[in-house]
Amino acid sequence: MKINEPFVEKVLTAFIKEELNKFNFKKGIFGLSGGLDSTVCAFLVSKALKSTNTIALILPYGKSFSEDVKDAQETSRRLGLKSRTIDISPMVDAYYSRFPTKNRIEMGNKMARERMSILYDHSSREKALILGTSNKTELLLGYGTIHGDMACAINPLGDLYKTQIRQLALHLGVPDKIMKKSPSAGLWEGQTDEKELGLNYDDIDQILFLLVDKRMPKKDIIASGFKTEAIDKIIRLMKNSEFKRKLPPIPKISSRTIGHDFLYPYDWDR
Amino acid sequence: MQERSHYLKIRGNCGNFSTMKVALAQISPHLGSLKKNLDIHLQTIEKAKKKNADLLIFPELSLTGYTLMDMVSEVSLIPEKDPIFKKLKAESQELSLVVGFVEEMDKGLFYNSAAFLSGGKILHVHRKVFLPTFGMFDEARFYAQGKNFHTFPTPFGKAGMMICRDFLSYGASYLLFAGGAEIIIVLSAAPGRGTAQAEAYETSQMWEIMGEAISRFSTVFLVYCNRVGFEDGKHFAGGSFIFNPAGEMIARAKYIDQDFLLYEIDMNEVREIRKKWPYKRDDKPEIILEALKRTVSKYED
Repeated sequence: MKINEPFVEKVLTAFIKEELNKFNFKKGIFGLSGGLDSTVCAFLVSKALKSTNTIALILPYGKSFSEDVKDAQETSRRLGLKSRTIDISPMVDAYYSRFPTKNRIEMGNKMARERMSILYDHSSREKALILGTSNKTELLLGYGTIHGDMACAINPLGDLYKTQIRQLALHLGVPDKIMKKSPSAGLWEGQTDEKELGLNYDDIDQILFLLVDKRMPKKDIIASGFKTEAIDKIIRLMKNSEFKRKLPPIPKISSRTIGHDFLYPYDWDR
Repeated sequence: MQERSHYLKIRGNCGNFSTMKVALAQISPHLGSLKKNLDIHLQTIEKAKKKNADLLIFPELSLTGYTLMDMVSEVSLIPEKDPIFKKLKAESQELSLVVGFVEEMDKGLFYNSAAFLSGGKILHVHRKVFLPTFGMFDEARFYAQGKNFHTFPTPFGKAGMMICRDFLSYGASYLLFAGGAEIIIVLSAAPGRGTAQAEAYETSQMWEIMGEAISRFSTVFLVYCNRVGFEDGKHFAGGSFIFNPAGEMIARAKYIDQDFLLYEIDMNEVREIRKKWPYKRDDKPEIILEALKRTVSKYED
């Protein structure tokens, strides 16, 4: 689980630079919430690219999460990024005035997709490549909105567990205030991942590390001191979210089919 | 040009001029672009010429990039007929070259291959035998499997080549040792894994351990050229190196960054170290061969 922070910083900044170069982009763009993951992304991008080529979009819904918005603005000011704050409430409210709901998850997902939509539009306007900010823990648990916050062109943080992001954040000099925030998907105020999952991140990451990286059988993980229910819950979340990590299946009819035997790399001719 | 190749020929035949300059091109090829990669090769060759290198080694699949998948057949070359090879052969009049490419041999059979070019000719082509097909690797899905580990004479002595995973099979190194290799050249496209250390991926150590063991116990020069850069998020780890026949690392390129490593070696060291450590003299290939036949014959179907 332990990472060497300077080495990881070097790898991830090299990755950001090289991918932009391959796809002929000079600028990178990402959504900055003021939480830990997107702040770490901001720090990395600011090291990889010129600050004028780094665009942070801060996309609050009305006055909610106002502390996070302030933190995001402070981060982009401190790092000298180009940033823009866009209130998404007019677009989201226009939709909900026709299709009202009280379901917080649905609303949160809709907002995440509204942000994605704005991010992609600005990516086109600015000719900037979209960087994702989902970490390995979230990706494995499916703890994100498909086609929402999970949407991006490249994801520098996708192979780091939440606890490793914390290690990296400390090394990068992310302010204490942001380090201390409870991780939240930000679907509604007061939501925290740990409350919702009923598990703390240290345990989640340990269990995921043993299951995924070490391929340890469940019985051995139980023997190493974790509760059966916790392990079962994590396995269930992983299985139920595989669809978020794959292209949708296509029924195979022809002799060569996308997703089956039409096999080209992402970096095709780059 | 003529003069230089003549000089190399003389040098290969006597043994008085045993020193040579080896250059390792730790490059980041473009994925699937022969044209762009040929440009990289030609630029690097120019650089190596200016530094008076005698032998310039490129990494695995240097002319094509690694993660080719269905592009394999689209970027394959037939060395004897190919215009790219014509250019490289011409360049090899001035310095010997080792390049990695996709080879089409017999119709429709594609190999992950390495060619040794010298004096305007292809001296040898090695076809990768151990095609990694597990986890992140999928080579046996796209390539035909090579069948041999040959040694071959070069202006610098007898050489043998391996490609990446070949080198992690000590049986492969043994075949080159038994075949009389004095210099073993490994072309690699090895992605790094494990980030607990400060300077390099943890897997870089695995290659260095093998480099030390094989050079020392085969009493040969061991030259390992790895690539750098990302392909679909895989990060090639660099860290190319040279071990002398005493098993000492005498040169190493940067980890993860592009580099050009140039080092002068004295091929006479092979002879010198074998006076002290007669592993070659004491080798018993006949016994190993017979014992291996007996072992294999007991395998169940």
